Amino acid sequence: MEALFFNSHGGYLEGIVRGFKAGLITQTQYNNLTQCESLDDFRMQLSATDYGNFLANETPPISTSTIAEKATQKLVDEFNYIKSNSVQPLTKFLDYMTYAYMIDNVVLLISGTLHERDTHDLLERCHPLGTFDTMPALCVATNVEELYSTVLVETPLAPYFRDCLSAQDLDELNIEIIRNTLYKAYLEDFHSFVLSLGAPTSDVMSPILSFEADRRALNITINSFGTSLSKDQRAKLFPSLGRLYPEGAFALAKADDVDQVKVVLDGVVEYRGFLEGQTGPGGAGAAGAEGATGQQAASLEDHFFQYEVGLNKLAFLQQFQYGVFYSFFKLKEQEIRSLTWIAECIAQNAKDRINDYIPTF
Amino acid sequence: MSGAGPRENVFPTRMNLTTTKTRLKGAQTGHSLLKKKSDALNKRFRTILGKIDEAKRKMGRVMQLAAFSLAEVTYATGDISYQIQESITEATFRVQTKQENVSGVILPTFEPLMSKAEGGNGGFGLTGLGRGGQQITKCRETFAKAVETLVELASLQTAFVILDEVIKMTNRRVNALEHVVIPRLENTISYINSELDEMDREEFFRLKKVQSKKKRDTAVRDAEAKEKRDAAEAAGIEEEEEHEEQEQGENLLAEKDEDVIF
Repeated sequence: MEALFFNSHGGYLEGIVRGFKAGLITQTQYNNLTQCESLDDFRMQLSATDYGNFLANETPPISTSTIAEKATQKLVDEFNYIKSNSVQPLTKFLDYMTYAYMIDNVVLLISGTLHERDTHDLLERCHPLGTFDTMPALCVATNVEELYSTVLVETPLAPYFRDCLSAQDLDELNIEIIRNTLYKAYLEDFHSFVLSLGAPTSDVMSPILSFEADRRALNITINSFGTSLSKDQRAKLFPSLGRLYPEGAFALAKADDVDQVKVVLDGVVEYRGFLEGQTGPGGAGAAGAEGATGQQAASLEDHFFQYEVGLNKLAFLQQFQYGVFYSFFKLKEQEIRSLTWIAECIAQNAKDRINDYIPTF
Repeated sequence: MSGAGPRENVFPTRMNLTTTKTRLKGAQTGHSLLKKKSDALNKRFRTILGKIDEAKRKMGRVMQLAAFSLAEVTYATGDISYQIQESITEATFRVQTKQENVSGVILPTFEPLMSKAEGGNGGFGLTGLGRGGQQITKCRETFAKAVETLVELASLQTAFVILDEVIKMTNRRVNALEHVVIPRLENTISYINSELDEMDREEFFRLKKVQSKKKRDTAVRDAEAKEKRDAAEAAGIEEEEEHEEQEQGENLLAEKDEDVIF
């Protein structure tokens, strides 16, 4: 059924996105980029790609942050174009995509407001995809009650806030917990929405979202070793979906060191290799394990990125579904990250690590 | 030597000679002491110079690593600067000053002091809990190391500057003593000595002169007396002999009176 009428409302946009996808930087282009000697070369190489002359108006000493900023701007433009041309339920789907950025922005503003920072400065730092009309008003509120009743109730994030926050927690430590609780609620909500969309979309999106949930759960577990986050609190931050849920999540909540996390991961074939070489010397205590995680951290994150890219690539194999939109923007984000990484490596003259980017196509 | 070169404006007396000699001795002792100090400082200076060179090279490496780990964080998590700035309540990295004494020169040395507050994560709270927390921890460690190197370098540089100053001052003093004070004192001593010698010679000469004058006078007088005696003998009157002897006695007395004054 879905496929029969898909093209009447989403066909054009799907075509556009698949066109955009063809513009993603290819492996050969990445190879060329890694050969660059300076950022000027880098810009030259990029101008041959879909990015065109996006850096043309920059004055010569280009910083890597400018490159990232401009590339993000391009992503936002593409997103906005698609969104403005979309109809329901694609619009809703795209809205859901922006919620993740919204959460980041809201958390940023909350923490900024609590410390009485300059609001304009804060608004500039917000991710452009996550902006919403009432966002500047967030800066007025001084506590959670007020924040919720005046501003957030108007935003799509309201249900997440309602679920997770009691008014008393908004101190230093809790900012990150708020962020992760919100994100958990968001993931669960998005997932249920995706399921409601039915077959092809949910087939594609479910693995992606599950992976995202698992990734967060794993990261939270590993990063909370040695911090003041208690195991109960930790367990509350795990999204209730994903391949690790529920037994894996339960075990993760109990884990004390990387080895135990590894045992949990052994249950899932795809994740098994992620923590390879992550363990400290056999039988080491928490301190030893911590030292080991510091060294191997990059590889875990790299594994995550690699797997995410793989999942997103799979989304393009199916037609007549919305997963391509999500995947395209995730891939694009990854591409921006890779570009920034390469640019950073060139700028800092660290050629030995330059190949650590994650190529998309 | 005596006349050449500057000397102090003193009267050439024996007492001044003694004082000046004592001062010369003092100056010489001071000179050797300062020389030793300057040597010690120089030695220290050179070691610090070596250390600074090493620290600067190390700083270059460490800073590069740190900047790179920040790039890793940006890769994994995006921009976290604001979160970090907000979640920090107090400095975890402090610098302590201590004093070190190198042959009388007080050098401040800085010592890094890490406070392990707030759950071992140095006040970062739970930044990067969702993603990239490990990179952040790593980055923080690298930067802590970088700052440590900077602190080390700072104390070395401070010591370097202060030592440089002190060495210059000591060398100035050593040189002043060696080339100004000591020669002047020596000049003064030789001046006083020469003056005293001169005075001795004058005295000696005067005494000689007086002696020779006296000798001449006596000779003249003897000659006169002899003449008179000869004249009297020529007169040859024995009766008058006694009378004449009396006269002579009177004359002698009168002359003696003059001599007594001298």
